[in-house]
Amino acid sequence: MIRLAGARIYDPAHGIDGVIRDLFIEGGRIVAAPRPGTHIDEEYDLAGRIVMAGAIDLHTHIGGGKVNIARAMLPEDHRDSAFARTGITRSGSGVVAPSTFAAGYRYVEMGYTACFEPAMLPVNARQAHMEMGDTPIVDKGGYALLGNDDFLLRMMADGAEQKLINDYVAWTLHATHCIAIKVVNPGGISAFKFNARSLDIDEPHPHYRVSPRAIVTTLTRALHDLRVPHPLHVHSSNLGVPGNVASTLATIEAAEGLPIHLTHIQFHSYGTEGERKFSSAAASIAEAIDRHTNVSADVGQIMFGQTVTASGDTMAQYRNASHAHPAKWMCMDIECDAGCGIVPFRYRDSNFVNALQWAIGLELFLRVKDPWRVFLTTDHPNGAPFTSYPHLIRLLMDRNFRNEKLAQIHPEAAAHSQLAALQREYSLYEIAIMTRAAPARSVGLSDRGHLGAGAAADITVYRDIADRENMFSAPEYVFKDGELVARDGAIVKVTRGATHVVRPDFDHGIEKRLRDYFERYHTIGFDNFAIAADELDRFGSREILVHPCTRPAP
Amino acid sequence: MQKPDIVRAQEFDNVPCPFCGLLCDDLGISAAAGTVTVRANGCEKSRTLFAAHAQSTTTPSVDGKASTLDEAIARATAILRAAKRPLFLSAGTDVAGMRALIELAELTKGIVDHANREAMFRNLRVLQDTGWISTTLTEIRNRADLLVVAGTQVSNRFPRLFERCFGDFDTLFDTRPRELIFLGARADDLPLPLKSRSTSLAIEPLRIAELFGGLRALLRGRTLLTNEIAGVAIEKVMVLLERMRAAKYGVLTWAASEFDFAHSDLAVQAMCELVKELNAKNRFAVLPLGGSDGDLTAMQVTTWQTGFPVCVDFGRGVPSQAAPNYPPDILIERGEVDALVLVCAFDADRIATSPNIPSIVLGRAGPPPGHCNAYIPVSVPGLHHPGHLFRTDNVVAMRMRQLVAAAHPAANEVLQKILDALREAG
Repeated sequence: MIRLAGARIYDPAHGIDGVIRDLFIEGGRIVAAPRPGTHIDEEYDLAGRIVMAGAIDLHTHIGGGKVNIARAMLPEDHRDSAFARTGITRSGSGVVAPSTFAAGYRYVEMGYTACFEPAMLPVNARQAHMEMGDTPIVDKGGYALLGNDDFLLRMMADGAEQKLINDYVAWTLHATHCIAIKVVNPGGISAFKFNARSLDIDEPHPHYRVSPRAIVTTLTRALHDLRVPHPLHVHSSNLGVPGNVASTLATIEAAEGLPIHLTHIQFHSYGTEGERKFSSAAASIAEAIDRHTNVSADVGQIMFGQTVTASGDTMAQYRNASHAHPAKWMCMDIECDAGCGIVPFRYRDSNFVNALQWAIGLELFLRVKDPWRVFLTTDHPNGAPFTSYPHLIRLLMDRNFRNEKLAQIHPEAAAHSQLAALQREYSLYEIAIMTRAAPARSVGLSDRGHLGAGAAADITVYRDIADRENMFSAPEYVFKDGELVARDGAIVKVTRGATHVVRPDFDHGIEKRLRDYFERYHTIGFDNFAIAADELDRFGSREILVHPCTRPAP
Repeated sequence: MQKPDIVRAQEFDNVPCPFCGLLCDDLGISAAAGTVTVRANGCEKSRTLFAAHAQSTTTPSVDGKASTLDEAIARATAILRAAKRPLFLSAGTDVAGMRALIELAELTKGIVDHANREAMFRNLRVLQDTGWISTTLTEIRNRADLLVVAGTQVSNRFPRLFERCFGDFDTLFDTRPRELIFLGARADDLPLPLKSRSTSLAIEPLRIAELFGGLRALLRGRTLLTNEIAGVAIEKVMVLLERMRAAKYGVLTWAASEFDFAHSDLAVQAMCELVKELNAKNRFAVLPLGGSDGDLTAMQVTTWQTGFPVCVDFGRGVPSQAAPNYPPDILIERGEVDALVLVCAFDADRIATSPNIPSIVLGRAGPPPGHCNAYIPVSVPGLHHPGHLFRTDNVVAMRMRQLVAAAHPAANEVLQKILDALREAG
């Protein structure tokens, strides 16, 4: 048994806000305080330290085909960041497109213990699981991409019953070993293959005549009916387009009151005011999120510097390709299923648009009132690499620091933004909500993201340093499933992480229909498509953890 | 009355074929008494390689003399322990084999590379310099109304490409008129319905860049003061361009492996840039063909584990991209590497060794290999053991199946044993 003694505990799932108490770990789990006299094998004196559950990133592109293309495209990201093998760790490289080993180590060194890859194309899921298997220590999970696949759009065009669509969604979760479903630019990736260059929320798809709104409504309903814990994860229409606030608000309406998660909402909160026809619509988006308690969001904050955008949204990536820095880019149409596009990008604080994007993201964080419904992300690597989280946390917690940075950006952007007027500073408790308790609850991990008895002992111990960037960069101790895996920002032990999935019940009758479809149209057979559980083991996953689908029925 | 015992053939359907980058997964295979026969949907290559050396009883050897597996592994370990800069070369292995090969290179401060590196770099340089708009097999099968093939060897190297992606079958979308244009020479084994819809322009691969440079100029509306481009009459070039501009969803494909001339990456680049530019009005995409001998599999694994796609040097401990201009034979000739580990699990005929370097070969059982100090026959992923390979379009990772019992260990198992032995030695 391990005792973590005397730390200040932040455990929002249990309403614990900075209470000093001991934690006990046994068999990889947090356990209740033992009877007096129980033998303690190891004790950590944590007086003056801050303890939270291991952090959870519910939206980070760490594995799969497009990430690997980004790596291959960017030797310049790897040359100067390469590191060698040690007695316990493997070698690797990369900042904005880190190698799998690099991603696992860096996350753990920052106190993160679970990462969710939000865009797993069903046809590419096997590769994504391979890469996640090679991402050490942290737990992983994936969101399967639907909503641009011919099978779904065809069913919708034919007026299929919701029940049949639910079966297909559930089958997809099983076949790909995913924990949630994401839609990227609903219908838009497919429309781009039919030579459409934009697809607004109520515009019929050029081939199927189905609207993005209908796709969102149908998939939202499916996940609700299947009681999948995480609601539909939506990358809305019109990413990056000035004025897209309208389609973002319409997307919220499309959920018809059912739970929905809007991802990287910063990229979808743009107005058209001002001389440059580009303005912040953060206030109206934040107001809509506050008002609709069925909505959660992650921000997708941008940070200034070099990164690479890796997205399933070929329509948006093609539109933005002329901004590529360095000047190279790729797009790919994939298997009548989805797509992907890679555009390297440098965000500049001296650029009006980029500076305003930065301010819009922060505005959203500060304006949305409920920290349980807004999560800390940079949409790694699209807004910035995940290694910038400690800096972002300081921006949220330290108003003076934030205003100093605001003074450095393009002055017109600063003038257009109302950021300076926002007084809010996030508390440690609120940070613990948005990086632990809330994402765990949202994704459906009942035994992660909190420090109650029975929880997995994924625990991060910080020194209480006034400079919160410093504090969150290199926690003193990180425990994964009860084992000490990092100390002072360095890996001390390498373990294998688990894979989190859901497996909702469904009528297997859909498989006959799918088999016929695959045999007739695809270049991979039905029998070779679904991933077998033992494959994940070969890829390096410690185990598959199946979470129940138990959201209350309507 | 009971019939006499006969060995019943085992029948397999929807079998994926590991022997070229297409990974066709619709094969019907019969296996009985050590004989493997492709009974449906194969090509000549798959028929040959599924059946090859089925009866082979080749044993490991050390310095040309038959040995036990343990003796051969011990010899391999000793060679690697003494080596300062070993070269680990795949000429065919699966994901698990590549993972082990990379870790060995990392542990011994060696280089990990693939035998098809030259061809891989022809495409990679373009991806790393300007990029492309690409597509995948199922998109072509259901969407493409025009397929332009640059080169003359696509159907030899990827035998069922046209049959599986461009034949006469039901498609999800309207693909009429489904035309096929060969820039080089028409494939002589085309399915009949495609023959009638195909045309060809005679052009040397060496002049592809010139042709596409001309096409790009014409697309921009420039007037060219010439009667021909790359040996093709300007009228014909104009017709080609107009056809490409009229495509609803056009695809341009090539096999970089046949572009065996200096700076052929510039030909690939010219093709990719034209296709990008066509997208200003219509949809068009490229399909760079590859994936045979596990080359894209090697690239994928090497990329996600090290950050660099192929030819990775751990000489300074950290992974770095080795100079692309120094292929294995030159490194060996110049003495810049001092041991060779070659893995070649698909086709024993691809095993190529050099007498000038201590060599360890993990190869498919077959005819005795040339010079090598430790030879270990390994089983074939997709025939003797399950495993994973990546398809030509870099998207589909296919699980290979075990069809018959393995007489030899998988490459990954042997490499893991060598890794363990080296780790023990410290």
